Amino acid sequence: MATDPIAQLGYLYQNPMSEALQASASGVPLVGITSNTVPWELIASAGMYPVMLRSDDCATSFADEFMEPQIFLPRIRSIFDQILSGRWPLRAVIIPRTSEQEYKLFLYVREVSRQYPEKHLPPVYLYDLPHSRSQDSRAYGLKVTFALKAQLEAIGGISIGADEIAASIVESNAARSAVRSLVALRRGKPRIDGCLALSLIGPFWSIPRKNYTELAWEAAAKLQAQATLNRPRILVKGVSMDQSTLHGVLESCGALVVSEDDWWGEGSAGQDISTAGDPVAACFEKYYSDSPGPRTFPASVADSWFEDRSRDGIDGVVFYLPQEDYVFGWDYPRQKNFLDALGIPNLLIRDDPRQLKTPELSRVQSWLEQLPKVVQS
Amino acid sequence: MSEKQLASTVQASAHQKEWFSQLRRDVFEKQMPYAIVQADMPFELFQAMGIPTVSNQWWAALISAKRLAPQCFDELNARGFHHGLCHYCSLPLACTLAGSSVEAPWGGLPKPALISARLTCDCIQRVFEIWAHALGTQFIPIENPGATELPPCWWELSRHQWEKLFEARRLDLTVDQFHVLIAALERIAGRRFELDALRQLMESVNRQEEYFDQARQLICSAPKAPVRMTEQITNVMAAQWLRGTEWAVEHAKRFRDEIRNRVEAGIAACPQEKLRLMWVGAGLWHDTDFYTSFEPTYGAVFVWSMYLAFGPDGYIRYGLSDPLRALASRVVSMNEQLHNPPWANEWIVDQAEKHRINGAIVLMPSGTPSAVSGTLFIERALEKAHIPVMTIEADVVDSRHWDGQLMRKKVAKFIEERLC
Repeated sequence: MATDPIAQLGYLYQNPMSEALQASASGVPLVGITSNTVPWELIASAGMYPVMLRSDDCATSFADEFMEPQIFLPRIRSIFDQILSGRWPLRAVIIPRTSEQEYKLFLYVREVSRQYPEKHLPPVYLYDLPHSRSQDSRAYGLKVTFALKAQLEAIGGISIGADEIAASIVESNAARSAVRSLVALRRGKPRIDGCLALSLIGPFWSIPRKNYTELAWEAAAKLQAQATLNRPRILVKGVSMDQSTLHGVLESCGALVVSEDDWWGEGSAGQDISTAGDPVAACFEKYYSDSPGPRTFPASVADSWFEDRSRDGIDGVVFYLPQEDYVFGWDYPRQKNFLDALGIPNLLIRDDPRQLKTPELSRVQSWLEQLPKVVQS
Repeated sequence: MSEKQLASTVQASAHQKEWFSQLRRDVFEKQMPYAIVQADMPFELFQAMGIPTVSNQWWAALISAKRLAPQCFDELNARGFHHGLCHYCSLPLACTLAGSSVEAPWGGLPKPALISARLTCDCIQRVFEIWAHALGTQFIPIENPGATELPPCWWELSRHQWEKLFEARRLDLTVDQFHVLIAALERIAGRRFELDALRQLMESVNRQEEYFDQARQLICSAPKAPVRMTEQITNVMAAQWLRGTEWAVEHAKRFRDEIRNRVEAGIAACPQEKLRLMWVGAGLWHDTDFYTSFEPTYGAVFVWSMYLAFGPDGYIRYGLSDPLRALASRVVSMNEQLHNPPWANEWIVDQAEKHRINGAIVLMPSGTPSAVSGTLFIERALEKAHIPVMTIEADVVDSRHWDGQLMRKKVAKFIEERLC
């Protein structure tokens, strides 16, 4: 691997399992996670390696066999295949109740495991974290977070002490701070484009956070000297993407993607986890209250970050609602109305960015050409 | 549905219409409150408080049967909601948004005092929040905790061992959420909730479902099906939406008695019955004649759908010392029982075997993506049990992409090639 931090992070973004596999080879158990709402800190404090399962371009033969077509998002289909194929040496997989598709992923993997015990699939666990804002949901979420800790103790065969969790929180907070330093390079007068930003932020989910912190700070320091980029500043909104393809398309058309309301980009780190009080409760609070996801309810809570960010130096918003979407399309008219009222131009893309045809690309291009060319201070 | 063979079917249809007229009179003339709720909600709480409820799915089916869905969805799409969004649960919302441009069935829905839904899929919180805003009413969401323990043969455990089957943590949260709902109902109704009233209602629901269980047994054991699937649905759902009421219990009994009389008299719904079919999925509300299309040529009779069978297996709860908790156990896993592995596939195979099913038509509900899940597991399980399966893609409420003739030909081909 290169020594340049930017190149190193880029490599790790493209090869998200590389560090995990090395750790596994040296005897550290890997625990796969599928979304931003599984407490990294609890898994790490159990002496295991939490690794985010990302979509890849491999064939999805298991998904083709068991998952109904055109219903599950490509990311979920890919994860299903990665688990069933035994591609990774996973001790366990923790799936949160952060989307209906993930709940079904949990049930599907569990069922294949039951019907085909000879496959020896890793055990899957549901972290049943609710996302509606109510006292009952909060109390339930706290309870299942303590249950997750107990589950991890059983998986790891060790007892997790409060000190270990507190240490993981400190380590994780440092990485969050490093992510925020990268995010700062996209605010105001941006110095990095969206594709680069995603590749620098992405490894937050797949490598040890201590390592990530060092690399990210070094990268941020280096990029601080970059010239500012004067292109229309775009916020991407809609279905979560763990690949930079759409950013690439938009930026090749002259845009500068400076934000995404998504846990893969600007929303990755969020605020720090509190270091006061019970560390398990602090983890719960973070993942319940400060993690974007499709089940956050009510809409006023779910929209608040988007609305604030849209008012803060955004020249245009691109909504990405692929053909498989049947969730975020309900939000689109409301969010579009919000932008229209503020006079913020917006564009809806429904096609797979990997397969955009010329007319669609021309539409994107024309829309971008109407946006302001120079970043205003 | 053109032909009604059972007197109870005629009564059920008439009662529903009269019930709805009365509801409108009560709301408009006496300002009495009512609620709109999802089909998997605890209707019993509303019933115990004397607050009538309209099921979102029942209303969707009615709009669809009146062939109004295309207009409603055109209006929805014109407001920026894309074509790929779920149709079944959102058709009534679309009808509301369409306003006076669509003449809603039976005079339309008056403004409800509240609407409520369990947060099963990721869409429903959105659909109901938008709808509440459009109706100018409040939305009470009920959290839907996920299942982690799913032991085999849930239907053998759900009547007596529900506490263990449905996981204490899930029941705890659901009961907590019920208390929030009850507080809202108390405000609306202007009176206190009484646990004893709920217990009595739950006992009545058990009685009602026992009648349905007996009706199901008769259908299973009779040489030929005494009642068509479509008539089962009309009778069962008219009672389920009002479950536990005097009328509903009496109607279930009437339905059971009429089936028993038909069996004893050797009357079959289709005397030339040769093949028994099952329909897996929600009803095809815009083309219910589809279900009888294969009788004349093939003697192929639809004898099973989830609507009758789920009553006894899904609703009966014995041990009502804590009726709220028992009620929580009734609703908390409907999604897993009907749509997801392992429970849905296991149960449907069990039902197919008990009903001596020759072939299954499994719906892939294209207009309701969140309800599609589990269909491939169901298909594989049925085939493994040597029950041939044909999967058809269709929207249960929107007829815009439904080619009834073509689909009848395809099913006919399936019957000829795999069942005859």
